[in-house]
Amino acid sequence: MTTRLSEDDIYRTSTQYRLWSYSPAQLAAQRKKTHELAIARARQNASKDGEQNGASDLEYLTEEEELQLVQRYCGNIRSVADHLKWPMNVKTTAVQYLKRFYLSNSCMTYPPKEIYKTALFLASKTEAIHITVPKFAASISADADAILAPEYKVMQALRFTLDVRQPFRGLKGALMELMNMAEGLMGTLSNTEQKTGKEVQAAMLALKLPPPGSKTPWKAPSGTLTPTHLNDRIRAAYDAARHLLDAPASLTDAYFLYTPSQILLAALHLSDEPLTSFYLDTKLPTTSPHRSKILSTIQSGAEMLASYNPKGMSKEERDALEKKLDRCRDPTTKDLIKSHAAMKRNGVEEGKLDEEKSKRRKLEREKSSKEMDDLFGPSLAGGKANGNG
Amino acid sequence: MAEHVAKSPALDVPPEPPAKRIKLSPQPKKQDADDSGPASPSATPLVADLAEQLDAQERNKYVKGKKLGSGQYADVFSAYLVTDPTQLVAIKKIKVGAEVKEMGISYDSLREIRFLQELDHPNIIKLYSVFSTKNQNLNLVLEQLPQGDLLKLIQDTQNISYTPADVKAWMLMLMRAVHFCHANFILHRDIKPNNLLIAANGEIKLADFGLARSFADPYQPMTYNTITIWYRPPELFFQAQFYGGAVDVWSCGAVFAELISRDVLFRAWPESEMNMVKLICEKVGTPTEENWPGVSKLKGYVTPTEIQPVRPKDYWLANFRTIGEIGVDLLMKMLTLDPKVRLSAEGVLKHEYWTSAPRPSKLEALPRKGGGIEVMGEDLKRRGGEVPGKENERGDKVARKIDFGAAK
Ligand SMILES: Nc1ncnc2c1ncn2[C@@H]1O[C@H](COP(=O)(O)OP(=O)(O)OP(=O)(O)O)[C@@H](O)[C@H]1O
Ligand SMILES: [Mg+2]
Repeated sequence: MTTRLSEDDIYRTSTQYRLWSYSPAQLAAQRKKTHELAIARARQNASKDGEQNGASDLEYLTEEEELQLVQRYCGNIRSVADHLKWPMNVKTTAVQYLKRFYLSNSCMTYPPKEIYKTALFLASKTEAIHITVPKFAASISADADAILAPEYKVMQALRFTLDVRQPFRGLKGALMELMNMAEGLMGTLSNTEQKTGKEVQAAMLALKLPPPGSKTPWKAPSGTLTPTHLNDRIRAAYDAARHLLDAPASLTDAYFLYTPSQILLAALHLSDEPLTSFYLDTKLPTTSPHRSKILSTIQSGAEMLASYNPKGMSKEERDALEKKLDRCRDPTTKDLIKSHAAMKRNGVEEGKLDEEKSKRRKLEREKSSKEMDDLFGPSLAGGKANGNG
Repeated sequence: MAEHVAKSPALDVPPEPPAKRIKLSPQPKKQDADDSGPASPSATPLVADLAEQLDAQERNKYVKGKKLGSGQYADVFSAYLVTDPTQLVAIKKIKVGAEVKEMGISYDSLREIRFLQELDHPNIIKLYSVFSTKNQNLNLVLEQLPQGDLLKLIQDTQNISYTPADVKAWMLMLMRAVHFCHANFILHRDIKPNNLLIAANGEIKLADFGLARSFADPYQPMTYNTITIWYRPPELFFQAQFYGGAVDVWSCGAVFAELISRDVLFRAWPESEMNMVKLICEKVGTPTEENWPGVSKLKGYVTPTEIQPVRPKDYWLANFRTIGEIGVDLLMKMLTLDPKVRLSAEGVLKHEYWTSAPRPSKLEALPRKGGGIEVMGEDLKRRGGEVPGKENERGDKVARKIDFGAAK
């Protein structure tokens, strides 16, 4: 009476897969669009204000600068979370919230310094940390209203999806399996060649050593390897991989481009390549038609993690960028707190709008729908949607 | 989609788009790089905030109708699609209480949204989309489940009778839902008959994920102050902070017993934790180191001094004979004191109960709620389409946490 649910099947129903997974080209295109829209809008605002002084592109943030800014505030999220001693999953979720937010918003529309605390606070709630706004605000010397005001904005930009699938549990699973194999407790599994527990253990003992440049700190002892050494090797690889799952996986685009299991295998691969290949071989028959594609995906994931550069901008660069943002920031979205308060005060129900107003809104909607289609793809009429094609 | 990289290399499964979902919300179109020309500035004002526009677009897809019900933290309305009035949905509008100043968007609604967005299963209430209204209310667009809940059926002993085969059918749907949650690393933590809603075709749908949480990290302590008290397992009364799917299985066991005997199994009255522990000791047996190694080390471990040995099968058979011996065997395994020994949801589904006679009833054969009269009466009090203004009325804000009664 049970249906086996593979982790893979489950991942494919996740919002992370359905809404937040991209190919590199799609991701770049998405960011480009968001950026260009923000600039087009800023130009329009400028000309409306009568300041037709031929404002040149130089005054606006470049796409690259936007990315740098977002990256910087992802770093801030991480330091605040560390300061509050919050667990890894909160930090990771908050960083992805911020990154997702800026796929459809430009820093020029909503500067990240006004958003990142909200993203972190929201993540603290979805990840079951219990802290009130006033307490949270006080602990980071921020203003409570400033944290709450953009909360709906963030929810909207997240498209009301709050779950961030993370690779940590999967990595722990791999650790357990590898340790069992090292102890000779596990023969190889379904659909690969059959081996006894002892044979698996022997094969592990005969593995090549991690090549130079591997992230694992483990060094082979002199003399013959024992299962205890093997255990050390696995632990060391795990620790190094877990380290890679922190900043490198979280701050690069890995979550947009790879699945959690691909990310963890990429991290293991960088830590101890021979061990990881061995592990994969126990899962993936050499005859599998998908094998080469899977291996190359892990390889490219590993390259992405390896490319992570912890050195951010210098203080001067940061200040210059913030100054530039101050100049080109969208004036119409400036007072989030005020508009938040106003909305709370005299919230108008859509049903209660008078006829005139709703007609006007309908017109506006039609006008703007083209832009939306550009951004998120056309909406599906009539609710007779099929899967994402 | 061929280029899509989302697939697990750990498994030999080719990447595929997810199975068809009836999604009322727009799906993102994963565009190819080559059809991504620059956004052309047009003559019309460019919107500042596309996500907000998308939200508005979603909101305007529905026409809201009469109120279907209301709970502690939400009002639920019937609604239909503008483009197709035959397509009914339920819109659950989250009440905004005074606690927003402290918390912002409430935990309950965030949890419900977070988890329902991830779960797509025939026996779990479907969340089609979410939108917000101008005054920053969250609205969940849910599938409409017009047949009430399981509690109403259990309690309507006057008009509704049902068979062991019906019980098996309902339990099977419940257990499939719970197994699916657990396979997704989600604990429901509020399983009880009134959170099991019934669809037009008779299917059971697990609803109300306001107390759910993910058990992704086994080293993070969780609250023991959860699950409606009558359905709460002994480990939570003993204040265990590390627990798993077994807590939900206990609740399911209590629902199973309630379906059979049409009475709450552990109806502590008054509803105190102490009374609950007493009742569990009396009806199942006193938790001791013998039947539950480690139990005495739990922080809140207290039991009545007089020890009741674990009840043997005969005791259970005397009370639940109608479900048969095999059914009683399963019931006992779901209500086992030691959560490590208690069956997992998967274990429950593998029990021989499901494949032994009688076969679970077909959906069409399941009894439906009798009185449309009560519902009609409610409707007549309101004019069509009018939405009763109950904006600022909110019951006890913390009641959900403290009042575990819910004896409705
Ligand atoms: N999908 C639905 N279809 C039809 N009616 C529904 C639906 N969801 C909820 N209802 C009705 O609305 C009522 C309140 O809904 P719900 O239980 O979700 O709110 P709540 O605030 O969580 O309540 P509670 O106080 O039980 O926690 C339910 O008792 C039911 O009558
Ligand atoms: Mg409820």
